[in-house]
Amino acid sequence: MGWKTWSLKRSPWVFHVNAGACNNCDIEIVDLLTPKFDVERFGIKLVGSPRHADALLVTGVGTKQAAIRLREIYRQTAKPCVVFCIGACACGTGIFQGGYHVAGPVDQIIKEVDPNAIIAYVPGCPPKPEAMISGVVKALSVL
Amino acid sequence: MNLQELNGKLSQIKDKLIAIEQKTDKRIFLSCEAEDAYAVNKFLFEDAGCRFVIATGIDSDDCFEVLYHFAYDQLGCVITLKAFIRDRQSPAIESIAPFLPAAEWIEREIHDLFGIDFKNHPNLRRLILSDDWPQGVYPLRKEVKK
Repeated sequence: MGWKTWSLKRSPWVFHVNAGACNNCDIEIVDLLTPKFDVERFGIKLVGSPRHADALLVTGVGTKQAAIRLREIYRQTAKPCVVFCIGACACGTGIFQGGYHVAGPVDQIIKEVDPNAIIAYVPGCPPKPEAMISGVVKALSVL
Repeated sequence: MNLQELNGKLSQIKDKLIAIEQKTDKRIFLSCEAEDAYAVNKFLFEDAGCRFVIATGIDSDDCFEVLYHFAYDQLGCVITLKAFIRDRQSPAIESIAPFLPAAEWIEREIHDLFGIDFKNHPNLRRLILSDDWPQGVYPLRKEVKK
């Protein structure tokens, strides 16, 4: 394990990207930071810029308008980084499958930029905060 | 103003309407042709004192419809004005945004999704479709296939 991976696993800083979500998943992400779950005790911290981030928390289906921005954000994120698809929409477009505004599930959009991207999926509508913590732990354990 | 007075008020514009349907005490439907919609909307807002809630666009069987929803809060009554746009080739209706700025964005959205031209709208730019969406394709029209 290189020092880069080691430091990524110790304290993953996350950047939250809304790629056309209905806000439900976003509110559950905010839940993670409240005293009840308090993910900062694991070193997980929400940061304001993708350049500071080790992981992207992507919510939403990935609309045509958001896909361009999502690719740009992924390019700007410091590598190595993990992409978390939060919620049913991000994992596989969910109820918006085939919609006129849909650019595809989030993993497809990310793989257009980087085919070897590390992508973790947390399904649910919205996923429980516990499920997100468990997803982060599982993703970090395979790094 | 009680319900009878409201009904009396609405009957003042009877000649512009096709029908007045009162489903319950709290739900009234008015319908009119697109040409008269501006005048009826102005009457509902300025003379009857209703509050504009939202508008809806529909691609109906043989025409486009724009539904203007107004609330009369003293009675808890919702009044919906259905305006029928018969011209399917170049659908157009007078914008109500000049006297009712709250309608500006919803008219832009209906213009995006149905291609209905709101005449005299102050700023009929694209609102919710993506920047690379092709011109002249209106996703909620019936002829658009998935």
